[in-house]
Amino acid sequence: MSNDKKNLGAVSRRSLIKGLGAASVLPMVSACGTMTGRGSADARVVVIGGGFGGATAAKYLKRGNPNLDVTLVEPAEVFYTCPFSNLYLGGIREMNEIAHNYDELKDVYGVQVIHQLAQDVDPVAHTVTLGDGTTLIYDKLVMSPGIDFRWNEIEGYDQAAPQYAPHAWQAGEQTRLLRRQLEGMDDGGVFVLVAPDNPFRCPPGPYERASMVAHYFSQHKPNSKVLILDAKDNFSKQGLFTAGWNEFYGNRIEWVGLSGDGRVMRVDAVRREVETEFGTLHQADVLNVVPPQKAGMIAERAGVTDDSGWVPVNPATFAATMADDIYVVGDATIAAPMPKSGFSASSQGKVAAAAIIAEVAGETPPPAYFTNTCYSLIAPDYGISVAAIYKTDSSGEVEVTSSGLSPAEADRSTRALEAQYARGWYEAIAQDTWGTRY
Amino acid sequence: MNNHLPWKSACLTAVLALGVSAGALADSHSADLDHLADEVLAGGCAGCHGTDGALSGLVPAIAGRPAEELEALLLQYKNGEGNPTVMDRIAGGFTDEELTRLAEFFANR
Repeated sequence: MSNDKKNLGAVSRRSLIKGLGAASVLPMVSACGTMTGRGSADARVVVIGGGFGGATAAKYLKRGNPNLDVTLVEPAEVFYTCPFSNLYLGGIREMNEIAHNYDELKDVYGVQVIHQLAQDVDPVAHTVTLGDGTTLIYDKLVMSPGIDFRWNEIEGYDQAAPQYAPHAWQAGEQTRLLRRQLEGMDDGGVFVLVAPDNPFRCPPGPYERASMVAHYFSQHKPNSKVLILDAKDNFSKQGLFTAGWNEFYGNRIEWVGLSGDGRVMRVDAVRREVETEFGTLHQADVLNVVPPQKAGMIAERAGVTDDSGWVPVNPATFAATMADDIYVVGDATIAAPMPKSGFSASSQGKVAAAAIIAEVAGETPPPAYFTNTCYSLIAPDYGISVAAIYKTDSSGEVEVTSSGLSPAEADRSTRALEAQYARGWYEAIAQDTWGTRY
Repeated sequence: MNNHLPWKSACLTAVLALGVSAGALADSHSADLDHLADEVLAGGCAGCHGTDGALSGLVPAIAGRPAEELEALLLQYKNGEGNPTVMDRIAGGFTDEELTRLAEFFANR
């Protein structure tokens, strides 16, 4: 383990500050422990989760201060992104093109990567317990735990259900299973997509998925249909999606919102049958349930979630409001008006990294800026986007300084350009996050 | 960087007041705090232009281009000119002064 180093030589400036500060939260016992583990490093930072938020935070922590001891905890050796997993379902991208590893973080940035599940966090002792029993001590903890599902909130959609009716809302085997089911479906079948109420990971995601599945049908199963049963009456980029669907897929895609009895109350995953609020039964040939969500399990274990199941944060730093020295970024947080997206998570990871770098040096974090751009593909050469810039002032309020959608009226060359930029975005953020180069 | 940040010097003073010598300070951490505020301001750009804006891919690289050129482009996009697709919505989120800082940041990458 990294914390076996026994360099007791230099007493860091931070330890001195801690020692001198009368109201220091970190007890001296812990300070001695971390001093042992820290060696000559400025501070020990543990990052839980190697997705957009966590991997970005780890990289930018080391970029900003190479003398931080940064340990990334992520169970998967290969990480598949939810962004662009819909393109895999549409048959226009393969799984190895949405796969990322941690070589650059380890080899170029000197991040220690441990492929274990983080099982528990003790926010008082400042420790993280891993699946193999290892305990890591941190001065600062970053969590980017993503989402977990609220099993059985839709009756019958329990932990066994996804093997029959995949969610495919965490990319990997679930994504592969859904594509196999689509490929195995007879032409003329119905793909039913159950979409959740807000808030949930990737607001435009279900509608891009419907588009990509409809694209796949148009190529291979022309008599098949997509039915979206939605627990809400409005969705992200709705006007642009609806116009694009009409243009490409006609009545191949049907969307039923909340007031049209779109809210699914019960699922029989084995029979692929769903029942809505007012008792309508729908029989699917392939059933994809995107269930209601909450912050990833470890956030709950750390005690940083509130009654909503999500994590309240100070938006100036993304420090959790319910524990000291814990920063939470990405989908798990209550960060509205920022959406739960990979781009938001990346942006938040950079802000949290900067805040930690400043605080470890005894300084005030710089003003926070966030960007989100979400592209969606309606067809391979037809892209739409939503983009926004956010700032946080010293009072900690988030201000949206710019926000907007692709124009409603645009020619095909503009849509094609946005589709190209969607691919460019993926290429760039993959490079920025994991160093992946295609 | 030409913008001197008050939050930095104030905190350095506080640290010195705790009796830590400037020498120990320099030895004990390697954080490049001068650039931190600009790094955060520019953080989102990497999402489409790669780390440091240096990725030459489907989206054009911006690293190392003259600051005047980048600033002129950003102001143009902010005004909705030059077929910006998404860049009007991005540039529109920053003040002219912030756009100048962004242009200088990427020119120096």
